[in-house]
Amino acid sequence: MPRTHRRAPALLVPLLLCAGLLLSGCANPGRGSADDDPTRPVTLRFWHGWSEKNEVKAVDAAIARFEELHPNIRVKSTGNVSDATVNQALRAGGGDAPDVVSSFTTDNVGQYCSSGMWADLDPFMKKSGLDKEKVFPKTLLSYTSYKGTQCALPLLADAYGLYYNKDAFEKAGITRPPRTMSEFREDAVKLTERTSGGSYKQLGFMPDFRLYQNSPDRLLAQWGPKYFDADGKARLAESPETAEFFTVQRDLIRAQGGYGPLERFRTTFGDEMSSQNAFLTGKLAMHMDGEWRGLMLNEAEPSFRWGTAPMPVPDDRADTYGRGYLTGTVAGIAHSSKHQNAAWELLKFLTADTEQVVAFANAIHNIPSTNAALASPKLDRDPAFRTFLDIAANPRSTGMPPSVNGGQYIVSLRDFSFDVEAGRVHDLAKGLRALDRQIDDDNLQSRN
Amino acid sequence: MHTTAVAVALFFVLPFVFVFLTSVMSDDQAMSGDLWPHEWNWSNYAAVFNTPGFLDWWRNSLLYAGLGTLFTVCSSVPVAYALAKFRFRGRRTALVLVISTMMLPPQVIVIPMYLVWAQQLHLSGSLWPLIIPMAFGDAYSIFLLRQFLLTIPKEYLESAKVDGCGELRTLLGIVVPMAKPGIAAVALFQFFYCWNDYFGPQIYAAQNPGAWTLSYGLESFKSAHSVNWNLTMAATLLVMAPVIVVFFFAQKAFVEGVTLTGVKG
Amino acid sequence: MAIPLAPELRRKRTRERLRTLGFLSPWLVGFTVFFGYPLLATVYFSFMHYNQIQSPTFVGLRNWRYVLEQMPLFGPALWNTLWLVVVMVALRVAFGLGIGLLVTKVKTGAGFFRTAFYLPYLAPPVAATVAFVFLLNPGTGPVNEALSAVGVSAPNWFNDPDWAKPSLVLLSLWGIGDLMVIFMASLLDVPKEQYEAAELDGAGAFAKFRYVTWPSIVPIVMFAVVTGVVQTMQYYTQALVAGKLASGVSIGPGTVIQPGYPDHSTLTVPQLVYSLGFQNFNTGAACVLSLVLFAIAMAVTSLLMRKRAGLLTAED
Repeated sequence: MPRTHRRAPALLVPLLLCAGLLLSGCANPGRGSADDDPTRPVTLRFWHGWSEKNEVKAVDAAIARFEELHPNIRVKSTGNVSDATVNQALRAGGGDAPDVVSSFTTDNVGQYCSSGMWADLDPFMKKSGLDKEKVFPKTLLSYTSYKGTQCALPLLADAYGLYYNKDAFEKAGITRPPRTMSEFREDAVKLTERTSGGSYKQLGFMPDFRLYQNSPDRLLAQWGPKYFDADGKARLAESPETAEFFTVQRDLIRAQGGYGPLERFRTTFGDEMSSQNAFLTGKLAMHMDGEWRGLMLNEAEPSFRWGTAPMPVPDDRADTYGRGYLTGTVAGIAHSSKHQNAAWELLKFLTADTEQVVAFANAIHNIPSTNAALASPKLDRDPAFRTFLDIAANPRSTGMPPSVNGGQYIVSLRDFSFDVEAGRVHDLAKGLRALDRQIDDDNLQSRN
Repeated sequence: MHTTAVAVALFFVLPFVFVFLTSVMSDDQAMSGDLWPHEWNWSNYAAVFNTPGFLDWWRNSLLYAGLGTLFTVCSSVPVAYALAKFRFRGRRTALVLVISTMMLPPQVIVIPMYLVWAQQLHLSGSLWPLIIPMAFGDAYSIFLLRQFLLTIPKEYLESAKVDGCGELRTLLGIVVPMAKPGIAAVALFQFFYCWNDYFGPQIYAAQNPGAWTLSYGLESFKSAHSVNWNLTMAATLLVMAPVIVVFFFAQKAFVEGVTLTGVKG
Repeated sequence: MAIPLAPELRRKRTRERLRTLGFLSPWLVGFTVFFGYPLLATVYFSFMHYNQIQSPTFVGLRNWRYVLEQMPLFGPALWNTLWLVVVMVALRVAFGLGIGLLVTKVKTGAGFFRTAFYLPYLAPPVAATVAFVFLLNPGTGPVNEALSAVGVSAPNWFNDPDWAKPSLVLLSLWGIGDLMVIFMASLLDVPKEQYEAAELDGAGAFAKFRYVTWPSIVPIVMFAVVTGVVQTMQYYTQALVAGKLASGVSIGPGTVIQPGYPDHSTLTVPQLVYSLGFQNFNTGAACVLSLVLFAIAMAVTSLLMRKRAGLLTAED
């Protein structure tokens, strides 16, 4: 090959010309501006993640209300948009890029704020005299900001708790949902029924991290872990909670037949959001899920009675019962938007207008995300939903701390957790130390 | 010998059969492990067609594959002709470079390319970043066409020259008609490459569901629309169908093309 | 001295050059813009920190150290890609040759068998993979259902880290049609007289294959191996789709799905490039990995340029 290359330098000249192209070729995507007049006619693009029929209907209703209040602003909404999509589109910029964006997870807020991808909202709040400390609950404000930059606002919140099959509980002679991890394990074993062939007919609780919403960070919330120290270094290995959590998790798996059989059973489950959801079909007697599941269960009319409760807590911290994992949809303004003032009007309406927040929360059964809406008499308070309102209000409930690297540390935690549940981590302490190092390396790599 | 052939044929055919049987089962039965449907739910196919976006995916796949094939053939034929029939300095180098690009995994250069299409030209969210480059020659097509053109005897071309034909007229009037089987094979390959492409649409079209192709949409079909295996299998068959139909019409060109890849061994 | 002829000759030369350049121009432009530029830019970005939002900053060898030393997925991805390159290619070539022999030997229904063996190759990779994930689903798939009915304990296929890659190999064997046709054509090209001569010498079936068939199909086998290696280095779609679907994890908006389920066993280098570049927006690290892939691909390509692989002949 080298011999042939030497023979035709003429062909390689264009290759070298590329260097020029390259040097001129890495400008940034178009910057947006906040100089627009929000009373002038404008069309905004709003991207969100909702896709179920009732959800889309609720979004459309919200937009209709907004357009009535602001006749000069038209809103074009696009649903079923994932974070990956938002991420790509905002980096690409261009005419089709959204003005108002939202994300179903708080995982990436740190990245959105620190990179400037989502515009800082404090100047807008100041202009319109909105006192965020008064309007939004503190936990929700903390998961929508990173190092003092408030680049997102909560757009309804999600709390995680336990759904249980009351008929199955009755049959197994269990009188109330479990409150501690030991009770949880005992109940799970009692509720597990097998077929004659040795596989499962009904499982007490499937702890596997890949099941539906069972991501380890959500289950770990019952321990109230601390992910980072004051310097932003990962400290999962130092806190005894993490190791305890994995031990309890492994006990749960062992008590119900082991990882292999459980995972095999998992492959018989239908899609989470479909009519073949494993809790809905009675394959699972207890199940961790978000508050929205209640509405879906009501609509699907399962053949059994069901109830809700907070997830159990560690035995030695029984007094913390009632806590749970919190997250929520977050919304912000795209840095590339040329109509940021108009976009703010929409964002303000969606996140801070009490009537709107209550109506939206009722329509899709999510936790309202403003203090006023939480106190509103119009809020739907059926008992199953009430459980989640209480979890959300519990001061010990936690969300995920934002990181400059977005949700990468959660992905690393998940990866490690998959290894643990499969029994491939023999020295937990050592594994956790390696995990911390990995998270720190990744964070360092993502910094400038 | 015959029993072996039958046994092996089962391995090839049974997956289609199972997929088809599942595609007409009810939601519940598709999750049961049953092999034979209790009732034949032909409405599953209607349900797939009624999935939001499914028809758009068809249109986009046709656009991508159609234009992509047209552009590739038009741009690759002259290059292949030059490489096969012209004598010039650097010919071997050019050939080596064509083969090198043909062998190169597309992931090697995708990131800077994406940045240009997305940030400079603002064309991400469409299939144009995949279609436009095909107007500038495709290494694999160039290589295959060249292999084919090598088999055209020199005398034909020279007699054309004696008749006073310019090179371009020789190409269009003599070479292209003679190379029809080769061009057909290359066109088919390119069509199926585009039809089957997943990586390209994932990079450029993912952010805009309106630009998804069948191959890309199918993968997200199950998860994005929370559907069950029966509908997924129906959709799978609907994605396979056009390719198989085209095969039966263009069987000869296909086999020709596949042998062409190895003919110079 | 033919001085008077020189200007005319030169004109002819120039014309010829322009003609050549004209014919080659689509490719010359394409090669420069869609290959040369991005390749150089990949090298450039491998030394930069660039999250595709803020301006790139120079970070020296940090991305290289990160990928080669710190990134835990680099090892598994490289291993999986190499595993597939060795095992998948070897089995595909062997199986393709076997099927080729089979169809050339079958007397009745040859047309049916050829079509049956060829059709799966036409199934779009995504569709074929979706189908296989369903068929091999341990809980509800018909294959395990059928196997357990006859008392065979079936593996968990795409859901078992030890079986996921073999399952992908199985999928690739299903789509053997392309190799079957190539082998079939070359097997039919072996002169009949040679077999007859061998038979006269009393050669058995094996000896006939070893001394008559094999020598004449060696170049085709070589070709199949090398192109197989190149294709497998790009292996992306099937592994990604199989991992995603088999994991059963819903792609809830917001959730980043790490490719490679189960336990990184299906993670290939191209998938990692995608994940770094388009999920983590770690442009620098993704470009480093791209260059590693480039180096491997070029090493293989240089093998290809050798005469035996048959892509280039002496007169080229």
